[in-house]
Amino acid sequence: MVSYILRRIVATLPVMAIVALFVFSLLYIAPGDPAVVIAGDQASPADVERIRQSLGLDRPFLVQFGTWVWHILHGDLGTSIFTSLPVSALIAQRIEPTLSLMVITLILTILIAVPLGVVAAWKAGSWVDRTIMGFAVFGFSVPVFVVGYVLAYVFALELQWLPVQGYTPLAQGFWPWLQNLILPAVALGCVYIALIARITRASMLEVLQQDYIRTARAKGLGQRSILFIHALKNAAVPIVTVIGIGVALLIGGAVVTESVFAIPGLGRLTIDAILRRDYPVIQGIVLLFSFTYVLVNLMVDVTYTLVDPRIRY
Amino acid sequence: MPVPQGLVIAPQLPDLLLPVKVRRGIFGFLRNHPTVAVGGALLLLLVLIGVFAPYLGTVDPTALAPAKRTRAPSADFWFGTDVLGRDIYSRVLYGARVSLTVGLSVAALASLAGLAIGLVSGFVRWADGIVMRFMDGLMSIPPILLAVALMALTRGSVGNVILAITVAEIPRVSRLVRSVVLSLREQPYVDAAVASGTRAPMIILRHILPNTMAPMLVQATYICASAMIVESILSFIGAGTPPTIPSWGNIMAEGRALWQVKPYIVFFPAAFLSVTVLAVNLLGDGLRDALDPRMAKSL
Repeated sequence: MVSYILRRIVATLPVMAIVALFVFSLLYIAPGDPAVVIAGDQASPADVERIRQSLGLDRPFLVQFGTWVWHILHGDLGTSIFTSLPVSALIAQRIEPTLSLMVITLILTILIAVPLGVVAAWKAGSWVDRTIMGFAVFGFSVPVFVVGYVLAYVFALELQWLPVQGYTPLAQGFWPWLQNLILPAVALGCVYIALIARITRASMLEVLQQDYIRTARAKGLGQRSILFIHALKNAAVPIVTVIGIGVALLIGGAVVTESVFAIPGLGRLTIDAILRRDYPVIQGIVLLFSFTYVLVNLMVDVTYTLVDPRIRY
Repeated sequence: MPVPQGLVIAPQLPDLLLPVKVRRGIFGFLRNHPTVAVGGALLLLLVLIGVFAPYLGTVDPTALAPAKRTRAPSADFWFGTDVLGRDIYSRVLYGARVSLTVGLSVAALASLAGLAIGLVSGFVRWADGIVMRFMDGLMSIPPILLAVALMALTRGSVGNVILAITVAEIPRVSRLVRSVVLSLREQPYVDAAVASGTRAPMIILRHILPNTMAPMLVQATYICASAMIVESILSFIGAGTPPTIPSWGNIMAEGRALWQVKPYIVFFPAAFLSVTVLAVNLLGDGLRDALDPRMAKSL
């Protein structure tokens, strides 16, 4: 198993290299001179030249890429054009709210979606199942910021149960921190809940037809122990896979959710960077998120071998 | 007919399994699959709204009227007016054009590109490893971020939005096509075709391509839905359709600052966007159930 895990870790290296190459060459794929693109429409030739110099755009492509990768391996993601601060410092300042939001959403999603999917599979074909699956289609269709505005309007503006916007660092207490994150997490989790409820139902339906479930029933085991111990455990692999893949939805959605709820996280940093055409910042964020995504899915793969003794490579 | 002595006629048993009613033609298909009918009808309605936007009691969606700023919905301004006094009803109706254009174009382009890449990768063994590693890398970048990064580098225009979202969607389609191709390659009829000396292009055209159509069609509807959402997100965060063109994301972005006091500016485009995406998703779910009966009850 150790050798499998090691091989799996080694296998992610080329993927990460391709991500890095792609993120780096985006600048060259886009039409026009990269320095002019970054400088924007109102830049003077001197500005363009300064940007060309500071980003090293006057050197050959491979040399640039090599230097860039070398710096990244040393934890240096470059320097923001607009603020002249290191990108890694900018990211470090903003990472707490985003990370908090994503973790809370992940927990909330799993707590809601998995039981919903299990119940839907258990009551397959009934009105309970149809209602849950109807909500799932709905969850897929309503964009994250729409859910966000509706939630904020109802629970924050009208009912005044929760704060409308903003973020309180965890250092200022658990409840104030959580209070600000509940609505954004529900909004962000909507699509994710729909996705995971669906896959849980599908995976459970398959497992519930197996012989050992019939045996468990015949032994007279309770419904709950059959569903959650015999069935869910065996249905876990596809569910965990989709939880891993769905992290991409979380990352993309976080950018928007943060802007709806005025949370000063990486999403806000991304939007500011786009408006200022601060390309090194965008590059750094995309790279960070992509690597996170690859690592999450690596962890998912590794957990299989721990959870499911049938999987041996 | 007289019954011979000693024989007992079997009693008439009720049919346990009622015969499946076969309905033919396009209307028969729609009656068998109400989700397709509902989704398709809603989508058609929205397409018509987009096409005939100028004739539906709209005014110029970009006409400024500073004297009539932020009016609440009324008989004159059905959906109210925005910060610059523009009629939101007209803007929302014209906005349907952007969303639908982006959704349908991305679905078509991503399907075609994904189909080509998937077929090559599924059929040309040496290319498979390289292409799929590249797609793995591309897939590791969350699609919205990839589109954002691409848009940050180009001038905002509907064409660039379409291209950016297409690039982000291609890996998923090519993976799907590749997996279908790989399973089809093992089919006896493909072996038979190979054995009888059919050339690879002909096998692809005759045996592989037609079988990829059903999953592709279903996938295309999901891509269309996701493209419309990504477009609105890009416009909403200021990296999408230029602000001069009324799109649902743009209208919401402009209403964002005022949403606590004038929620209707955000509400109407949001409602239209959600209904459109819902229509496309219903269509997709219905098509999936109709085209692949094995999937019908499981997902």
